[in-house]
Amino acid sequence: MAKRIITVDDAATMRRLVGYTLRGAGHEVLEAEDGEDALRVLAGQTVDLVITDVNMPNMDGIELVRRLRAKPQFQSTPILLLTTESDPEKKKQGKEAGATGWITKPFQPDQLVAAVAKVTGL
Amino acid sequence: MNEDIQRQLIQDLVIESLEGLDAFDAEMLALEDHEGQPQDHLRLAFRMIHTVKGSSGCLGFETIEKVAHAGENLLSLLRDEVMSVDQAVITGLLRCSDALRDMMHCLEAGSSPDTIRHADLLQLLDGLQRSGKSEAQQGFGFFDGAPGAPETAVAPSGWGLFGDDEPVLVVAPTAPSSPPPSSPPPSSPPPSSPPSVEVSELQEEDASPKLAAVSAGPRASESAIRVEVAQIDRLMNLVGELVLARNQILQMAGEKSDPALNGPIQRVNLITTELQASVMKTRMQTVQTVWSKFPRLVRDLSQELGKKLTLTMEGQETELDRTVIEAIKDPLTHIVRNSIDHGVEDPAARKLAGKSETGQLRLRAFHEGGQVVLEISDDGRGIDPVRISKKALERGLISPEEASRFTDREIVNLIFHAGFSTAEKVTNVSGRGVGMDVVRSNVEKIGGTVEVSSVVGEGTTMQIRIPLTLAIIPALLVECNGDRFAIPQASLLELVRLDPTNSARSIEWVNEAPVLRLRGKLLALLDLGQALSLRQQRSAEDAFIVVVEAAGRKFGLMVDAVLDTEEIVVKPLHRVLKSLGAFAGATILGDGQVALILDVAGMAKRSNMNANRKILDADALKQNQAAALDDGKERLRLLMARVAENRVAFPLEGVTRIEEIPASSIERSGPREVLQYRGRIMPLVRIGDCLGEKRPVVKGEDDLLHIVVCQLRGHQTGLIIDSIEDIFEERVRVERFGNERCLAGSLVAGGMVADLLDLDRIADFAGLLPATVGRT
Repeated sequence: MAKRIITVDDAATMRRLVGYTLRGAGHEVLEAEDGEDALRVLAGQTVDLVITDVNMPNMDGIELVRRLRAKPQFQSTPILLLTTESDPEKKKQGKEAGATGWITKPFQPDQLVAAVAKVTGL
Repeated sequence: MNEDIQRQLIQDLVIESLEGLDAFDAEMLALEDHEGQPQDHLRLAFRMIHTVKGSSGCLGFETIEKVAHAGENLLSLLRDEVMSVDQAVITGLLRCSDALRDMMHCLEAGSSPDTIRHADLLQLLDGLQRSGKSEAQQGFGFFDGAPGAPETAVAPSGWGLFGDDEPVLVVAPTAPSSPPPSSPPPSSPPPSSPPSVEVSELQEEDASPKLAAVSAGPRASESAIRVEVAQIDRLMNLVGELVLARNQILQMAGEKSDPALNGPIQRVNLITTELQASVMKTRMQTVQTVWSKFPRLVRDLSQELGKKLTLTMEGQETELDRTVIEAIKDPLTHIVRNSIDHGVEDPAARKLAGKSETGQLRLRAFHEGGQVVLEISDDGRGIDPVRISKKALERGLISPEEASRFTDREIVNLIFHAGFSTAEKVTNVSGRGVGMDVVRSNVEKIGGTVEVSSVVGEGTTMQIRIPLTLAIIPALLVECNGDRFAIPQASLLELVRLDPTNSARSIEWVNEAPVLRLRGKLLALLDLGQALSLRQQRSAEDAFIVVVEAAGRKFGLMVDAVLDTEEIVVKPLHRVLKSLGAFAGATILGDGQVALILDVAGMAKRSNMNANRKILDADALKQNQAAALDDGKERLRLLMARVAENRVAFPLEGVTRIEEIPASSIERSGPREVLQYRGRIMPLVRIGDCLGEKRPVVKGEDDLLHIVVCQLRGHQTGLIIDSIEDIFEERVRVERFGNERCLAGSLVAGGMVADLLDLDRIADFAGLLPATVGRT
């Protein structure tokens, strides 16, 4: 079943890659450039999954997770951090903020599809 | 299709990374200059390089990822204050960004980024890290919710879920997804197969991938989108076509005047104009696009040369058409390099000259009179006109007479002459091969001009003036032999109407070349019809002269009629016509006819309209009166001169130039009087001696001698006379009464008797050998 997924990344290459991979797997993909942008996009709609980069301008991924978790409609939405962060502190922060899991960059397309399937209960 | 997405992803990566790397450089330079908070710069720089690393890693470009990772590691140590910022570290990071940039250019060109050498760089970055205190945490570590769970138990890449107590970890290859897990683990893909191929494999499973959907994802912040330059160029082309069609419609409407059509036509007209303006605007880029490279350039060069420099930039937001931006990139860079290399002195010399040790380099951009002015100024040693003039004389670029007549400003602008380079020592920074002449020709190619002004000891300012756009230019339409031509307004100086009833405004002839006396100066003329071989001879004297200037040459183009000025859309020319060098392009006029756009500089070059010709100016020919040309066979064109009591006539065909020289510049070579002339020795002959004039011409050291320069037996020879009286063209009869040594006979010209000189006999008299072979 197709899911609505938002990919949040300041790098257009990553948005395109994630979008392309997941659309190829039959999902609907929204895009946002950073945390603030994602909140704007998600202001009037819900999604089945959020995949967000950690290190972004304006509002980073950790803060985005925190903000989303504060909203009732996103309290149980799975959120994956897409990260190359070598800093365990960042991961800890992500977890504490309420992220569901992580995907490390670089990833293989089938890994991404698998992770999405798993986390959205497909 | 699959290749499409792969290509697009790579293109995204390249554009994004190049932008990011430029920003990275800017942050590094700001950090070095202690501007603002170091933490801010480090954070931003970290994010830039982090993005490059992440994106290229995902596309499988391991080498890029590795280099970016090394830079990122070093940066994270700086950010976390494990080590401190110094020049070596910044240089290392900048080199890292250079390497990444090179790799991106490789990707862009379709080659492998692995060809860029990076081993040394990695070693350097590694060394910097080692020297900077302890090795910090690096690489990947995984953590999970369960305390004590070994991090190494997790695969080095993949994904996982944060469990409260119990981590749920799934390693990718076992994932229940539709495509078979055929792709190799990311840690060891064969270098020959970029993983975008794997993306493609995944794609094959899918029946209906929508390429358009990739970029059409709904995003809230769509205030800006990326558009390919080629797409904008195509738009511009279409708008150009529309403008031409509009012009046609307007012209037809003007002829037919149907009131019902007028309203819609006016609307089409207005909309077209606005559309044109809007599309033009999308092609605009700020000067910043070029300037952003300069802080880095200035830093590297000044370090290399041991100079201190501050760069200030004003007006970065000034916009120019992207084709113009492209075209000025190299000239600007050249000028900036020149300023740093030759302009600004080293700190010691500056101190000695009473200046601050740090030199100032200032870039300014602003609008002026529909053009954009780019100004590059330094407070360096300036350009010494004496040195330039010496060099120019040595190289035969100017004559001594010009050297004394030119203003300092004119002299300094000689640096734009071809082959002019005064760098006393050639450095690898500038001064080898490419000179300022290339700068000038590049700027002129886009309809711009470049000028230099300089004060010795205080500095140099270069001013480049360029049009806003190249696609649509204002031009003057002229007619010649029934054809219409467009002359770009940029090279236009003035229009002169030749009035056959007013003899003060008529064409004169000097040595076969038509000239026009314009405000006391002689202006070389070129008949457009003859230059383009449209006709043999000008029919009427009733003509318009379009005074143009290009590549430092000013001359008049004779045309039959001046029609109108019009905004024309420049269309590229087929290479067959391009190679003629006479045309810069073509355009379609309002009535649907094609008109060629003249390349003024090319015309001058083709027609040998060299700078020397215009030097025949009013100073030298002060006393001349002009006579109109007629090709009647019995007519003679004569230069009348006075030698003591005698009136002598030179056949004008034999005269090359007329010069005034100070008597003191005459030197001797054996029994012969000679003159250094244009880098060669020119024998002199006193006409008085030829005529057997007993009274020697006595002149003071500072008096000016009049010299008629003629070709005698292949030698440039100066014939000394007392004064020049006139130029006549008359039906004359040459009569011989005796066998005077150097005379062809006597004649009546201008109502007075004169002796016609026989140049061959004068050569005999002077004992000149033929220039090439021995005497026969």
